[in-house]
Amino acid sequence: MLKIIQSAGQTVFSRLDRLFSVVFGDRANPLYHLGALGFYFFWIVAVSGIYLYIFFETSTVAAYRSIEHLTHDQWWLGGVMRSLHRYGSDAMVVVMFTHMTREFLFDRMRGPRWYSWFTGVPLLAFVYASGINGYWLVWDRLAQYIAVTTAEWLDWLPFFTEPIARNFLNEAAVSDRFFSLLSFLHIGIPLFLLLAMWIHIQRIAHARTNPPRLLAVGTLAALLVLALAFPALSQGPAKLDTVVARVGLDWFYLPLYPLIDRWGSGTVWALVGGSGLLLMVLPWLPYRKRDPVAVVSLPNCNGCGWCFADCPYSAVTLAPRSDGLPFEQEAVVNPELCIACGICVGSCPTATPFRRLTDLTPGIDLPDRNIRELRARTVAACAGLEGPARVLVYGCRHSAHADQLIEPGVTVLTVPCLAALPPSFIDFVIMRRQADGVLLAGCNRGNCHYRLGTDWTAQRLAGERDPRLRERVPRNRIEIFHGGRGWPDSLPEVLTRFRARLASLAPLNEKPPHPAAKTPEQQHGAD
Amino acid sequence: MALIDWDERFCVGIASVDYEHREMIRLINDLHEHFGGSDSVIEFLGEIYTRISAHFALEEKVMRERQYDQYADHKADHERLLDEIRDIMDDVEDRGSYQESVLADRLRSWFGDHFRTRDARLHRFLEGAGHG
Repeated sequence: MLKIIQSAGQTVFSRLDRLFSVVFGDRANPLYHLGALGFYFFWIVAVSGIYLYIFFETSTVAAYRSIEHLTHDQWWLGGVMRSLHRYGSDAMVVVMFTHMTREFLFDRMRGPRWYSWFTGVPLLAFVYASGINGYWLVWDRLAQYIAVTTAEWLDWLPFFTEPIARNFLNEAAVSDRFFSLLSFLHIGIPLFLLLAMWIHIQRIAHARTNPPRLLAVGTLAALLVLALAFPALSQGPAKLDTVVARVGLDWFYLPLYPLIDRWGSGTVWALVGGSGLLLMVLPWLPYRKRDPVAVVSLPNCNGCGWCFADCPYSAVTLAPRSDGLPFEQEAVVNPELCIACGICVGSCPTATPFRRLTDLTPGIDLPDRNIRELRARTVAACAGLEGPARVLVYGCRHSAHADQLIEPGVTVLTVPCLAALPPSFIDFVIMRRQADGVLLAGCNRGNCHYRLGTDWTAQRLAGERDPRLRERVPRNRIEIFHGGRGWPDSLPEVLTRFRARLASLAPLNEKPPHPAAKTPEQQHGAD
Repeated sequence: MALIDWDERFCVGIASVDYEHREMIRLINDLHEHFGGSDSVIEFLGEIYTRISAHFALEEKVMRERQYDQYADHKADHERLLDEIRDIMDDVEDRGSYQESVLADRLRSWFGDHFRTRDARLHRFLEGAGHG
């Protein structure tokens, strides 16, 4: 059941990804930066909030007036700030829920990833508490409605000796001091929110808390347009002696309020509490056995730190050497954080298929899908290849269905992630002419199942990140396919085009030519 | 006879780097002693390629940590050397044979030149910076 929902959801998101990529481009696709957008909206709301706070008067009578003044007399700045504050907060709710839904549908909350999921749930409460608290400050009819309903809702809890709702029976009961308390809370809760957001990303290496500049500028521009076209307005001053009958709701923040009226406080408490609890335990529903985590082989590790630099989950650290060899450090895997993506193995300089004298055990490896076995599988798969334009496909197990590629002259091997494939394997396959070309089939760019796998792969192949694919390997014999369901190019089409290109290339020399940048002495030595 | 003799001048003054330099030279000399069938040479070259890849990775880390002023140049030379040893490996494997003296010369200059120039410069830098 869960799998069906997730699979259907993944298809929907993949199509949306594609649509957004067409509109915004791959780099600025907002669906790839939902978490970063959450941070971005937080800062927009914080900055606009500070501006509003300067002019806000914390008293029953003056609060409404001060905001009206900002909205109308200083519409070109104060009004815009108010609208940015409002729409930025709404946008934060949107990206937060989209982010959560997406991570759920792609099943990215299991194993060690429970931490980010689990710490993300309280963020919902903090965002809602901040937002609802903010609506009180305006002290208009909506604020009155929210104040009364919230008080009634809270009164359901057995903590309060006296009903708080009584405070809102008449004007005299709402003191100026109460407004000071409200505005104090409206600073305090968002500060806790920020702290919780920081905790939320603690186990993410290279966490992206800033969207790409293009997306940031575009988003701000969109909010500004919204602010000018539909400025946020108050709904008439609060009058506590009358009951609010009709009021416009902010459906991003207040969808539960009509339910409190209709179903009663107890039911809504059960709904909120139940959903919160369900969300919190979701990473363990149903319980699944974890993949064995990466292990370090000290005789093969000199503490170079490449795995440490590439691990997307901060699961690898460098610790003081423990085996007496004269190295300063060694890689250490924290099993609590490792999700067995294998990206560390792909980065290890000793994970090369050219190694035959000693046992092919790299400095870091996955016990159940090790490099020795990958080499054996590579050699065996290529041995069966015949005909022109032989292609070896390394397919990431989370990407589009590489296993659908069944045709003569093509063989497919699955790897946990493209970045779990050491680049020297590509050198090995192409330069040792095991196959005529290598096709790498990975996740959508920006939607890598292991966050950074597609980025690292691209950078390693471009010679921008260690371990680099050797420059001598002809790049026209490599094709990278990023994509999932709903992508314009299907994998079989890419393969057909790639094979046509390979067929048109001159065969790699039996003896590869030497690079030009050699000293005459070496040139002589080579002859 | 050793192909490359250890020379104290090869020390850069960092225990781990110097240890690997010695191991590297030992491995190249081992290979020299095992000159014979091309299979065993290919195996040795594969091992050298693996070890030198890891060694360069570590040396580059040391250089970055100590903010070595010629890091980019030194790193580029490492990349060139890695391409070159792969050339040597493919040459031997493709031909199925090799000339001992030519391979010995190639290995000596491949490793020795870098030692004499880039690594010596690094040594002077580290000493000057008080890390020697």
